[in-house]
Amino acid sequence: MGFNTGNLGVTGGADRLLRDLVHERTGLFFDNGKGDLLTDKLSPLVIERGFTSLLDYYYLLKYDETARDEWLNVMDALSVPETYFWREMDQIRALVEVVVPRWFAAHDAGPLKIWSAACATGEEPLTIALALAEAGWLGRVPIEIHASDASTSAVERARRGIYRERSFRNLPPTLRAKYFTQVGATQTWRIDDRLHTAIKWMVVNLMNEAEVAPLVTANIIFCRNVFIYFSDQTISRTVRSFAAHIRPPGYLFVAASESLLRLSADFDLQEIGDAFVYVKRPDAD
Amino acid sequence: MGNLTPSDNSIGVFTTDASLVIQIWDGALARLTGIPADAACGKLLVALLPNLEESRLLARFQRVLDEGTVEVLAPAFHHYLIPCPTLAPSKRFDRMQQRVTIAPLREDERVVGALVTIEDVTARIERERDLSEQLAHADEDTRLGAARTLAEDESLEPAPPLLGALEDESWRVRRVAVEGLARRAAPEAIAALLASVRENHHHLGLLNSALQVLAMSDVDTLSPLVEFLHDKDADLRMQAALALGEQRDERAIPALLGALDDADTNVRYHAIEALGKLRAVEAAAALACVAETRDFFLAFPALDALTRIGDASVAPRIVPLLEDELLREAAADALGHLGDEETIAPLAALLNTPNAPTQAVATALAALHDRYAKLFGEGAYIADLSRNAINPTGAQNLLDALNESSHADLRPLALVVGWLEGAAVERALTRLLGHGDARGETVEALVRHGSRVTDLLIEQLGSEDLEIRKSAVVALGRIGDARAAPALIKVLEDDTELIIVAANALAQIGDPRAFEALLALVGEPSAAVRQAVTGALNSLGSPEMPGRVLPLLNDPDANVRESAVKIAGYFGYAECTDLLLERCVDEDERVRRAAIEHLPYLEDERVTAALVHALRHETPKVRAAAAGALAQAEGPEVSTYLLEALADEDSWVRYFAARSLGWQMFAEGADALARLAQADKSNHVRIAAIEALGYIGGESAARFVAPLVKSDEPDLVRAAIAALGRISHPDAQTPLFEALRSTDAEVRAEVVVALGERVGAEALEQLRRVAATDAEPRVFAAACDALKRLGTPEAIAGLVSLTADAIRRETVVAALAQTKEALLEEVARGLLPRQPVEVRRAVVEALGRMKSQRASELLRRALDDADASVRASARGYRRSAFGRRPEDYS
Repeated sequence: MGFNTGNLGVTGGADRLLRDLVHERTGLFFDNGKGDLLTDKLSPLVIERGFTSLLDYYYLLKYDETARDEWLNVMDALSVPETYFWREMDQIRALVEVVVPRWFAAHDAGPLKIWSAACATGEEPLTIALALAEAGWLGRVPIEIHASDASTSAVERARRGIYRERSFRNLPPTLRAKYFTQVGATQTWRIDDRLHTAIKWMVVNLMNEAEVAPLVTANIIFCRNVFIYFSDQTISRTVRSFAAHIRPPGYLFVAASESLLRLSADFDLQEIGDAFVYVKRPDAD
Repeated sequence: MGNLTPSDNSIGVFTTDASLVIQIWDGALARLTGIPADAACGKLLVALLPNLEESRLLARFQRVLDEGTVEVLAPAFHHYLIPCPTLAPSKRFDRMQQRVTIAPLREDERVVGALVTIEDVTARIERERDLSEQLAHADEDTRLGAARTLAEDESLEPAPPLLGALEDESWRVRRVAVEGLARRAAPEAIAALLASVRENHHHLGLLNSALQVLAMSDVDTLSPLVEFLHDKDADLRMQAALALGEQRDERAIPALLGALDDADTNVRYHAIEALGKLRAVEAAAALACVAETRDFFLAFPALDALTRIGDASVAPRIVPLLEDELLREAAADALGHLGDEETIAPLAALLNTPNAPTQAVATALAALHDRYAKLFGEGAYIADLSRNAINPTGAQNLLDALNESSHADLRPLALVVGWLEGAAVERALTRLLGHGDARGETVEALVRHGSRVTDLLIEQLGSEDLEIRKSAVVALGRIGDARAAPALIKVLEDDTELIIVAANALAQIGDPRAFEALLALVGEPSAAVRQAVTGALNSLGSPEMPGRVLPLLNDPDANVRESAVKIAGYFGYAECTDLLLERCVDEDERVRRAAIEHLPYLEDERVTAALVHALRHETPKVRAAAAGALAQAEGPEVSTYLLEALADEDSWVRYFAARSLGWQMFAEGADALARLAQADKSNHVRIAAIEALGYIGGESAARFVAPLVKSDEPDLVRAAIAALGRISHPDAQTPLFEALRSTDAEVRAEVVVALGERVGAEALEQLRRVAATDAEPRVFAAACDALKRLGTPEAIAGLVSLTADAIRRETVVAALAQTKEALLEEVARGLLPRQPVEVRRAVVEALGRMKSQRASELLRRALDDADASVRASARGYRRSAFGRRPEDYS
């Protein structure tokens, strides 16, 4: 259902061109049924820029010297901030109870590098840090947690570390009391500094190889609830890039609804603890 | 096949005369065999190779000489022709392994000797044997690696080892083997596979893999599979039916029809499925017979197959199955796809019973609705008939089902409930606003209910769910009931996330009470909100506006001034002219830009001068706005200034200046635009220049634009094609025709659209050719659409003849169904007896979809058609005149 498009000239197939450009640059795919949604999300940016047509905006994003800055606005407009603490915990339990112990049993030195590749406003990497802290790993062994998202504003919020009520819908109250402090009289809570500073935050577009390069060499990658917005082609490309650089044994966590079996032969699906986890095939190089 | 790509030095050649005396012995062969040319030439072949006769190879040479055939001596059987040591040490072979081809050497039509090639395949075979051994390894990864290598390495012959791998216990290995064989296996390997199927069809793993290979293979496997259908072993017959269904080869239909009488139920089951997959129209009657038996095992697949086939003539035979307790849901599903308006009464009768299969009936009614909406634009007709046929029990069943339904099933229920009326229905619909899966249908239904649901929707404005509130606002706006205005004004004031949709809704309602609330928001920080608010105020068109907007043009808040400029400029209020001109030099850039954009709406002699001043002296954004606004300005000097702006340092100024020159069709600007089109550093400027040249037209524009069709940048190509389509000069045509040969389907589709803008026999001919031959659906669909838009008798005749092509038929029928009234006779020529039956049937379908009395009259001609299916289809369409009265026809 289109809410804003009535105000904007959508002509000459500009919506299709814009859809394909957004797909190419961000991986986000608004198929035929979701075209209006894309136009709705971008219309305020078009108006803000002083244009009256999507086609002009398409040219701006594709050719203008200032396009790089404008893409940050696009990523913000298209980001899906819907996330919360303690989400899909079976996988994080598998990480904390099986993968991490197994890794430190086999490796004496060197940090274990974990990358949360689509961290939105930070709930996922903070959940990982919190679970590791609860299990006694954080601070005891060398673990690096990196968290990134393509949306600048989402990462900014993650850096602030202040959360509203709806982020806590799944977090046990005891943990909330232990790791969060209410900010004054507001209905917002600040995350414990020890957890927050354990994470390195950055803005990274998964489609940008240069931006991805420093992070993709992690041992463990969380990339959950992203592929549902990607086309098959983009998922394959992203997973190929993960497979090429992830450090062995190479664990890839995706959401339960995001099967890669049809799209990648580089990872095997294994049952670890109570969760399904993709593990890089030994011959996938 | 084999896909062998040997280097030249691994193949040696010799020739003989008709008596097998060696004539030529080339250097490569001398090197491979160690036998120099002078030791071989002039000798009888049997003298050089004494074992030739004993090994029965001499007979192969003789056959080449006598019959002119080509003989291949495969290394797997013969190992070698010329005994010689291997060139490199081998762990398996003492003698070089050779692949030998013996071909006839001809002069005119006579065979005068033999041409023999000897290829050293020792290393290749050694590698294949290694990989074969690895395929037998206990470790799955080793086997998988070997299978991958065999499947992907073009230098290897993959078939023999991979055939064995089809039986591997690992599905991964089997998958690689299947893909490798399907892609690369030679016909003889496929033949071996077929033989293997016959012998091993009880080995399920092998059988499944083999059938996958057959289904994916390019090799013609129809004949052996049809033969299997007559085998005495029922399992093999069953598997053959299965494979024939997967192969999608229509030639299998007669054999599969025969298999419907097979003694074995499983064979019949798979034959039914296969006929469905093949969309075998000729099987529809036979499958309807199967469904009518109500056989528990066969009736379901028969109904499913009938649905896939899509022959509507069998729908009346399915209707009685709605009474069958077991089959009624499957029958309803089939009727949803095959039925017509006559199907609604029996479906509704079923829905009106206690314990009705409500979800299945609703899904069928929704499918009928969607099909009628798509094909005939008559979804509302199905809704009307359904509403009249569903009684209170049926309505209650639907409402009950709504409460129990999962999200995935909600849409058809929501759609059908939306057709009904009454307080309970309206309450149910407002509750449905909370379900994203059915929200679109729900809003549409609520809008149809009109002001009766206004109060219910107003209640929803207090919902905690943003999406519900948003949908309620949208629905209220579309209903247009002024009673909603106060509530929407409150939303405007209190619900920051909904200001834009509320402003739009108030604009649709047009209630003057919204004026003050909207005016209070013209200074909002968000540009999108201001845009919505000013748009709504412009829609209201309040008589108070001129007096109220005047002071706002001097408001201290720049946002307010900008909005005021947009309102005053939009209406062109004379009393605001001076202030609008003043705002062109406002301290705020956005206000200046808005003022410049709106100046062309004013009738004042100072306008052009103000625009030109801005174009020369302003900031880049305001200069760009001025360049765009000058498109609407008048006066001989305008073009001169726009030409000057083509050299502006800012790309957007050049972009809008180029577009404005095109808009003004300023022919003298063609050279300057051509320079920009060819060499501007910004692609969007080049595109604007190309577009402008397209509007200016003429020989020189065509000449400038033509080379850009071959650009590497798709946007430039697209613009160039569109521009050439607009240029009527004949020189614009040739580059378009050339671009039709592009390997890029996107380019071909763009060219087709451009050609659709042109008139003339050549363009028509090209469009007909593309529509008939292009393999890419979107390209031939675009060509069909262009032919329809051209709308000449020749274009329509071309479309009619294309309906003979099964692949293109649906696309062509959809285009023909939109033919202009004046050309319906041309469409009806497709009903002439000399036309193929497929064409006649398709034309009936096209005429049947039209909302035209003339089309209905023309359909009458098909009632006497020699073919029963054409007559049945015509009867169906004439019966389904959608309950229209004559005055409903266009």
